[in-house]
Amino acid sequence: MAGLLGFGNTADVIVFLNEEEDKKKIEYRLEDGTKTKLPLFYDGDNLSGRVKIHVKSNKLQHSGVQLEFVGQIMLLSDKSNPQEFTSLVRQLSKPGELSQGAHEFPYEFLHVEKPFESFYGVNVRLRYFLRVTIEKRFANIVKEKPIAVQTLHLYPETDQSSLKMEVGIEDCLHIEFEYNKQRYHLRDVILGKIYFLLVRVKIKHMQIDLIRKEITGAGNSGISETETVTKYEIMDGAPVKGECIPIRFFLGAYELTPTMKDINKKFSVRYYINLVLLDEDDRRYFKQQEVILWRKQDKTKKNCSGVGLIIGGGTSTDMDTAKEEKS
Amino acid sequence: MTTQGEPGSSLEDQEKLLDDAVRRVKRNAFDMKRCLDQSQVMDGVNHAGTMLDEMRTSLLSPKSYYMLYMNVSDELMHLSQFLVDEYGKGNRMPDLYELVQYCGNIVPRLYLLVTVGTAYIKVREGSRKNILRDLVEMCRGVQHPLRGLFLRNYLLQCTRLALPDTGQDKEQYGDGGVEDSIEFIHLNFGEMNKLWVRMQYQGHSREKEKREKERLELRVLVGTNLVRLSDLQGIDAECYKKQVLPGILDQVIQCRDPISQEYLLECVISVFPDEFHLQTLESILRTCQKLHERVAIRKIVVSLLERLIKFSENPDSGGIPSDILIFNIFSVEVSELIQNHKSVATVDGLAMLSSVLNLALTVYPKEISYVDQLLSFCLKCVESVPEADINNITLKELLKLLKVPIDAYNHVLTIIKLETYAPLMARLGYQHRKDLSVYLCQNLIDTGIEIPTPQEAEEFLGLIESLIKKQSDEPTGEIDPEDFSEEQNLVGQVVHRLVSPVNDQQYHVLTTAKKYFTEGGEERLRYTLPPLVFAAMKLVRRYYADKDADDKWEKKLQHIFQFISQIIHSISSAGLSELSLRLFIQAALSADRVHVETIAYEFVSQAFMIYEEEISDSKAQMSAITLLVGMLEQMGSLGEENHETLRSKCAVTSNKLLRKSNQCRAVALCSNLFWSGRIAESNAHLRDGQRVVECLRKALKIANQCMEAAAQVQLFIEVLNYYLYYYEKECESVTIQILEQLIRKINDSLPHLGANEEAEQIHKHFQLTIQHVVHRQKLSEGSTGGPNYAKLKII
Repeated sequence: MAGLLGFGNTADVIVFLNEEEDKKKIEYRLEDGTKTKLPLFYDGDNLSGRVKIHVKSNKLQHSGVQLEFVGQIMLLSDKSNPQEFTSLVRQLSKPGELSQGAHEFPYEFLHVEKPFESFYGVNVRLRYFLRVTIEKRFANIVKEKPIAVQTLHLYPETDQSSLKMEVGIEDCLHIEFEYNKQRYHLRDVILGKIYFLLVRVKIKHMQIDLIRKEITGAGNSGISETETVTKYEIMDGAPVKGECIPIRFFLGAYELTPTMKDINKKFSVRYYINLVLLDEDDRRYFKQQEVILWRKQDKTKKNCSGVGLIIGGGTSTDMDTAKEEKS
Repeated sequence: MTTQGEPGSSLEDQEKLLDDAVRRVKRNAFDMKRCLDQSQVMDGVNHAGTMLDEMRTSLLSPKSYYMLYMNVSDELMHLSQFLVDEYGKGNRMPDLYELVQYCGNIVPRLYLLVTVGTAYIKVREGSRKNILRDLVEMCRGVQHPLRGLFLRNYLLQCTRLALPDTGQDKEQYGDGGVEDSIEFIHLNFGEMNKLWVRMQYQGHSREKEKREKERLELRVLVGTNLVRLSDLQGIDAECYKKQVLPGILDQVIQCRDPISQEYLLECVISVFPDEFHLQTLESILRTCQKLHERVAIRKIVVSLLERLIKFSENPDSGGIPSDILIFNIFSVEVSELIQNHKSVATVDGLAMLSSVLNLALTVYPKEISYVDQLLSFCLKCVESVPEADINNITLKELLKLLKVPIDAYNHVLTIIKLETYAPLMARLGYQHRKDLSVYLCQNLIDTGIEIPTPQEAEEFLGLIESLIKKQSDEPTGEIDPEDFSEEQNLVGQVVHRLVSPVNDQQYHVLTTAKKYFTEGGEERLRYTLPPLVFAAMKLVRRYYADKDADDKWEKKLQHIFQFISQIIHSISSAGLSELSLRLFIQAALSADRVHVETIAYEFVSQAFMIYEEEISDSKAQMSAITLLVGMLEQMGSLGEENHETLRSKCAVTSNKLLRKSNQCRAVALCSNLFWSGRIAESNAHLRDGQRVVECLRKALKIANQCMEAAAQVQLFIEVLNYYLYYYEKECESVTIQILEQLIRKINDSLPHLGANEEAEQIHKHFQLTIQHVVHRQKLSEGSTGGPNYAKLKII
């Protein structure tokens, strides 16, 4: 009935990917709160498969069937104006007629360049999908098939300087903190330690907050969205001068993305570690440090760091002053 | 759940808070166990984490927190057991070790980490050395004293059976040796001690005492570390000395906290074996020098000494090795402590030296020089303090110290040899000096030791001078007469311990004693001099017994008798007439026994003189006369002339008594002198029946003068008894007629007595007398010998 009235699809379109079942699935949270699991592809991976069109009516008149591979950045505030940074097109069928029944069109994109990682953020989405368009006179039949893309990096483990810094408030609190690296892969462990050089305030506890900042737009007009991924308590009670508190923070426990800098001049995602000390009068003392997150190729299943992780050393850096704010 | 706020103050608040927390623990533990039963490990661990949130509280007092901890650690046992038994099979422990660290709150996270980590060791999967190291390091994250102490206690509790120990152990686990355990416990111990000390500085200063109390309640948590170390079999004395103890002592010194220092050192002393202590005496004692002023160093040193004394006394211990100069170590180190540590007061110094003394006496009983060395150091200590600063407690300690060698040697002659003993004793106050003197005397008497030389007697009596002489520092108040007499009787007993086997020396010993005792004042003479008289008389008998070996014996006896005479005169001058009279009588008898008539006579005459000049009370006179007559009857050395004089003197004196009844009895008594008295010439009894009867007749005559009927009859009966005695002794002057006459007289008089108790007594006396006669009559029937009562008619 719907077909007779010209509403709805007169044909079902399904996009099949080769070996889709074997692909790793990545879960994303959409802005409506639902979750979706997408097959994972890496930069340079081939995309191949077939498009199945099942024509329900007697026949389907069309002015061509196209398949596109699209990489798109869309600001949720400006959905109507997405920016496509990648677009590859294949003509599946020339204008003509498709008879009732099933039709299959194999396709293949070789060595597809996928420069960015899929990202489903608060204000921005970076997504990849295959789009089938059956061009018709009045309303095209369009079908999208999203995929997930992850970008892999490789940093040599040895070439890692630690982040070490002495901060404080004069005659009140001096600490020296040290994180073993400045770049961490997503399943990495942040190891570090806090030295208390001077303690004149009664500290109640200390935690590190992992903060994600999503910045959309460029320059001064950018909108920044800050989200605390987790609060991780690293000390209970008040230390005295000379105390050294260990930090061991497993990034693998959280859903994180690699740090993204100025992606196609549209947005950035950055991560920060905020070291927070709270005193008995509920004053907060904190020091925020950016950390670079990157995705490492899963070589083996073994990601756990286990025991015997040695707290690394490093070079000392400039003094800085922690900010104080009343809460 | 909140980590804020102060502990709830009231008791009910605490109970309620604890009850609520325990209820939540139980509920979560139930969920945890349910999940574990279904092998849902991660869910179980999550419930455990929720349960452990309770441990984040700041609202509970240490006591309540402890109760909560006990509940929680009980429940964690299930998890731990599950991990060891079930999870270990086919699951990866390292994964779990990471997963539990995702927990956002540190307290539950670390409890879980410890639980998983120790299970990890127990399934022998990971490197036990690294796991232990990691656990003890990660626990640094809890800096809150109470929560930190309990977390680390949990660590100790879980690792109790997982610590690397001996080499055999290493084969089973693959890695880790006892040195790793030592390092692990040292670290944990240091951190726990720091937390414990830090408790002191929390909160308001006015609650200092409350906090000290709370800290003392928690001390066992810190001490458990030391117990764990002492449990390690792999630690030998060498390892203890080089690794274990230095680590502990560093911590003790560095923390600068008196409560901690005192407890930890006591703990070290009590948990490690004596063999280890012997190797580390210097380190421990030198550590004492660095302790806080408020630490009772004395308690620590004394407890160490007491342990070693017990050790050396234990026959199974093998004693103190000879290469450890334990006395030198202690005397040097303790002296250093006393001289250099501000907080060691004289009294503490003395208490420590007292223990060192005990040690010296136990370990080196023959080294008198050690004891002397210590005593002179004590003296130096006491002298270095202004007299005004020496309080009673200090003196009591000194008294205790001075008793130590008495008990140890159990031989006062050894005490005398200690040169510094007397000067040190002189530092005691009057009362303590007297107490110690009594103690010395009692020891002398109990041990039965004899003091053989005049020098030793002099020294001993010098020591107990406070009992013998009035002291310059003696308080002026009333003296308890009972105590006084008890003390003096003790001194009296001491006299009998002044015994030399050599007669001449004994004489000197006694003269030495006399010199001391005569300075004692009148109140002491009555106790101290009589024993001296008897001791002298004993010596008289010894000289007499040895007279063949000593041709000067007579001269010497004379000296002794002079000595005795002087003493009795001193007693007499003190107004003790009856006592001196009796002593003269004793002296007379003593002289009589050794046949020196003139001296014996002299003593008798002295006795009479005292009787005449000093004794006026008629009762006293009567008893004196009785003694004098008895004495004279006993004597055998007097010639007829002297004897005659004296027996007449007795008779005359008897006759002069005031009361008729006394006269009567005394005169009757004198009859004995004429019958059984002896004179030197014949060395035979006088047996003068004539005079006997005269005496008795005289006695009757006096009795007749007696006005009171009952008394008179009583006297008649008594005289009758005399007659009967002599009759039975076959004194011819006593005839049947006399007896019959007297019996009749009594029979006549008896009915006139009234019917009272006294009369009844008299009747009874007479009846018994007559019964005796009747009995004799029956016995003599048919027999030829003995007195013949046959003719006596009793009406």
